[in-house]
Amino acid sequence: MSQKGRPDGRKRRVRQSLREYARGIAGGLLFSLPLLYTMEVWWAGFVARPPRLLGYFLVGFLLLFAYNRYSGLRRDASWLEVAFEAFEEMGLGLVLSVLMLWLLGQIQTSMPMSEIVGKVVVEGVTAAIGISVGSAQLGGSGEDDGQGMGAGKGQKDDPDTGLAAQLVLASCGAILFASNVAPTEEIVMIAAEASRWKVLGLALFSLGLCALVLFYSGFRGSDRLIPDKDQGWIAMLSRTVVNYAVALAASAFILWFFGRFAGLSAAACLAQTVVLGVAGALGASAGRLLLQSSSS
Amino acid sequence: MSRVEKNRLEWAVFGVGLVLVLGTVGFLAWDAAQGGGSPPDLSVSLGSPERRAEAWAVPVTVRNRGEETAEGAHVEVVLELPDGTREEAEIDFAFVPRGSKREGWVQFLHSPASDRLTGRVTGYEQP
Repeated sequence: MSQKGRPDGRKRRVRQSLREYARGIAGGLLFSLPLLYTMEVWWAGFVARPPRLLGYFLVGFLLLFAYNRYSGLRRDASWLEVAFEAFEEMGLGLVLSVLMLWLLGQIQTSMPMSEIVGKVVVEGVTAAIGISVGSAQLGGSGEDDGQGMGAGKGQKDDPDTGLAAQLVLASCGAILFASNVAPTEEIVMIAAEASRWKVLGLALFSLGLCALVLFYSGFRGSDRLIPDKDQGWIAMLSRTVVNYAVALAASAFILWFFGRFAGLSAAACLAQTVVLGVAGALGASAGRLLLQSSSS
Repeated sequence: MSRVEKNRLEWAVFGVGLVLVLGTVGFLAWDAAQGGGSPPDLSVSLGSPERRAEAWAVPVTVRNRGEETAEGAHVEVVLELPDGTREEAEIDFAFVPRGSKREGWVQFLHSPASDRLTGRVTGYEQP
């Protein structure tokens, strides 16, 4: 579909945008529903202090922005357009969280503003990333041409496979997957009960998982998105390690946000990070490939 | 700078999004600037007793005026009877977030005259 063929230039019709928003909302719910139905997440909304909530919100917003920039569908979009999209998606994410939390009875008018805002922020960030992923990835090919919000281009070019894109998309995947299990008590329990050898085993398992998904399983998009696939085992090893490092960093960030590190020894914190890192590694490898592969 | 092309719906959604994001950041920043993180500060107030089928129910309200959330707040309410004996009732609140209140009921077998009722928080965790 060429841009010149459209009477209104790059603008799209309202009906097209509506369909895209609907797709985004479906995606947002798909990724954030487990969090919306988890009480530890509601608690985090009022237990976390405002500076921590602010940090979480800003990191989430940056990640959303970076995902839009690097997801491979909108690479000709300007930074300004990408920023505008991030505002649209975060706004939708917050509205969706308010609606769902109210329907689930978790926000009420009698609550103080700080509690309501806290709960909405904690749920809204994941919902917004889900909305971004949903609007970009859930569309079928056809007249809507599977574009993300705000971008009006017709053809897809080769996806960005540079280090920045790799890191950003792996972080998005890791956070989307890991945040679904991170707030639960089970992570603390598993980490406290596991022996050192089991923790080591989980770390090796996660590394193996990254390598399998990225290089051996013929995962959707892996041939296009991993250009150095045939460059020998050093390139493969470094990519696997980078992937797992991103997974661990994302896991540690989420655990810190949910206050899981308070008063614990470094070894206990590391054990929790490794336990959650299994989900993170899955997200950073398989999740990332799904997030970046275009819907065609 | 390149132009941003959007239709009216997209501009509206962007506008709402901009207001919500800036509002959220603004509120959190303002809220962060307010408090120095003082520990939970709980107080109990009791309402007037109501007759129920098998007991007298007394409404209990716990307020947290501190800057931190209290977890597992345990409240004890004591009724002093005219003959000198005491009847005790207890209630737990899973969470009392900062700046908010939580409500519940305790029940007594004897009719409570409100001047003989006392309630206090006996303990809580800091999550």
